[in-house]
Amino acid sequence: MTMGYKKIVLLKDTGSTGRTKEFYNLFLEQCRLENLQDDVQIVRVADIGMYDKGIVVRIIPGDITYAGVTEAHIQKIIQQTLKNNKPVKELLFTRASKQMRVVLKSCGEIDPENIKDYIACDGYQALKTMLAKSSSEDVINELKTSGLRGRGGGGFPTWMKWKFARQIEADQKYIICNADEGDPGAYMDRSVLEGDPHSVVEGMIIAGYAVGATKGFVYVRAEYELAIERVEKTIEQAREYGLLGEHILGSDFSFDLEIRLGAGAFVCGEETALIASIEGKRGYPSPRPPYPSVKGLWGKPTVINNVETLATVPVILRKGGAWFASIGSENAKGTKVFALTGKVKNSGLIEVPMGITLREIVFDIGGGMLNGKKIKAVQTGGPSGGVIPEHLLDTPVDYENLQKLGSIMGSGGMIVMDEDDCMVDIAKFYLKFCVDESCGKCAPCRIGGFQMLGYLNKISEGKAGEDDIELLERICNASKKASLCGLGQTSPNPVLSTLKYFREEYLEHIRDRKCRARKCVDLLTYHIGQEKCKRCSICMRNCPVNAISGDKQQGFLIDVNKCVKCGKCFDVCKFDAIIRE
Amino acid sequence: MKKLTKETLDACRSESQRKRGNWIKVGMSTCGIAAGAGDVFAILQNEAQKRNLDIRIEKCGCAGMCYAEPLVEVYVEGMPQVVYGDVDKETALAIIDKHISGKRLLNDHIYNVKVDRS
Ligand SMILES: Cc1cc2nc3c(=O)[nH]c(=O)nc-3n(C[C@H](O)[C@H](O)[C@H](O)COP(=O)(O)O)c2cc1C
Repeated sequence: MTMGYKKIVLLKDTGSTGRTKEFYNLFLEQCRLENLQDDVQIVRVADIGMYDKGIVVRIIPGDITYAGVTEAHIQKIIQQTLKNNKPVKELLFTRASKQMRVVLKSCGEIDPENIKDYIACDGYQALKTMLAKSSSEDVINELKTSGLRGRGGGGFPTWMKWKFARQIEADQKYIICNADEGDPGAYMDRSVLEGDPHSVVEGMIIAGYAVGATKGFVYVRAEYELAIERVEKTIEQAREYGLLGEHILGSDFSFDLEIRLGAGAFVCGEETALIASIEGKRGYPSPRPPYPSVKGLWGKPTVINNVETLATVPVILRKGGAWFASIGSENAKGTKVFALTGKVKNSGLIEVPMGITLREIVFDIGGGMLNGKKIKAVQTGGPSGGVIPEHLLDTPVDYENLQKLGSIMGSGGMIVMDEDDCMVDIAKFYLKFCVDESCGKCAPCRIGGFQMLGYLNKISEGKAGEDDIELLERICNASKKASLCGLGQTSPNPVLSTLKYFREEYLEHIRDRKCRARKCVDLLTYHIGQEKCKRCSICMRNCPVNAISGDKQQGFLIDVNKCVKCGKCFDVCKFDAIIRE
Repeated sequence: MKKLTKETLDACRSESQRKRGNWIKVGMSTCGIAAGAGDVFAILQNEAQKRNLDIRIEKCGCAGMCYAEPLVEVYVEGMPQVVYGDVDKETALAIIDKHISGKRLLNDHIYNVKVDRS
């Protein structure tokens, strides 16, 4: 293999000064003076994988990275590194990505619609080895060693679930892949199904073998059109290649899969409701026990696992449970995929070892805050989770830690919030989601949710009294204790956690009728700061309800009785003369 | 296709691994397609065909960098493997012109450079 490419210098200003172009020109100029322009290509990059490290220069081949580079260093880099292949020691920086891709390893690498791409990356090797050498008990033991816990939200040890289902004698057992993924802001499972669908199918076949099931269902929400199309192709190809159906890979084991589409109700992600939905019934949850692994689909023992959990299984069998258990922290093993969104620069899908801190996720992987604003909190676990305030961002991420803080790991949505986010508004947003999605079967969730939302609305409208907080908390606790399923048991979490960490903000809404993030419209008033106003009349011309009157001689005024607080004048004013309080 | 067995899976793996040479991959998951990856894929395919380039153009899933979609990864022998982001029609053409034909990297669109290959 030739190492024949010419030298490449990648550079980027990772600080806030944005000097990439200027520095690029300087570097280019000096290389020209040294007559290096034909041997070296200098490239401005959009992202160099490091943040807040000043100007970063990466030289290829050799892969040398320098951080905190200034103009004064350019000559030294040219003379030592470009001409003589020697590093400039004082600038050296070791690039280390804090991500670790286990489940997402092939997402974005392979063609998801081509089974051969998956096979080329050791796909179905775990299945083959298992069929040749392992008993179902071996598989479950390997999972036990790995410490894998469910990635769908509950965090239940996967091996235990499989063991329960395996122990029971039954003429038929089932495997279900839960791809309902209803949390707002979460799309981990969709990406895995779209990017590496065979890994999920292989995981399901292995699960079938381990518990003695011959039939499986992938339950996907109907909105996930591309995911569905790819899973369909995957099942077809796997059948054609003898990886699904009778006598898999020529063995005695048979297993087949079907897709079931969900209509997009959040509650249908809850396992008992999901099972009812597959049975053709209304998607209502039912009390547990009995757990699905004992009495599930059509009354038969059923293992129901999340997409990511299942996609992790083949890797564990291939590389060993001990390998997986060596990743992560004391309490939580392996890696977890998160959908990082909100006010963060690099929003996207990330996979990190358990035990990483939220701060590392936001600043080292996410590249820090969008618009340079101050971070206020990170929301994890979607509508069942809570917010974690800035001062607790150094907490290592695992199931227990997040729970202790009043949030949950959940399925992996992670939303970064800044000063412009109002915590009452956030609580209202998530609770509203749960109220809309409540199936209505049990009263604590149906009525409790409605009442809680009523109090939150009162608070954000400035109509609440201080005792309302107490009443709100009481209903929260009742819903947590008395609801039938996880939806109502966890829907108070966003409310309780914002109350826990941002009570002051609630009190401001109630006592001072103020929303510091300026999100709660009813608490805002708009008026015109006459000193700054240039009397251009743009506000008057844009007001949709004619609440602004005046002329260019007299100046302009907003009639607070007419104003609908839409914020249009605030947005169009070029002189910051509209005051919003 | 004859069904695979435990014995023939490995042969299928070796055969599948053998495809080498130059390639371009376009992230064609929902996030990529929503950002315009479909057009980018079509342009790359058209241009490659028009210019008779010896390069495979393939689809792949989401690489995670949703903020920079559409993502296009390029491997040309003798050059490092590069991930371009925010690729629109013009950038797609520039990738063909400059990177594939001219063997030079594009400014301002690189989101990752992978060097472990050659
Ligand atoms: C309201 C509600 C919604 C849920 N939605 C999902 C979902 O979309 N995907 C998922 O995998 N699990 C979801 N769960 C968790 C499932 O009930 C179940 O615990 C999970 O699928 C088990 O898989 P695991 O052990 O692999 O995590 C939800 C739970 C509740 C209470």
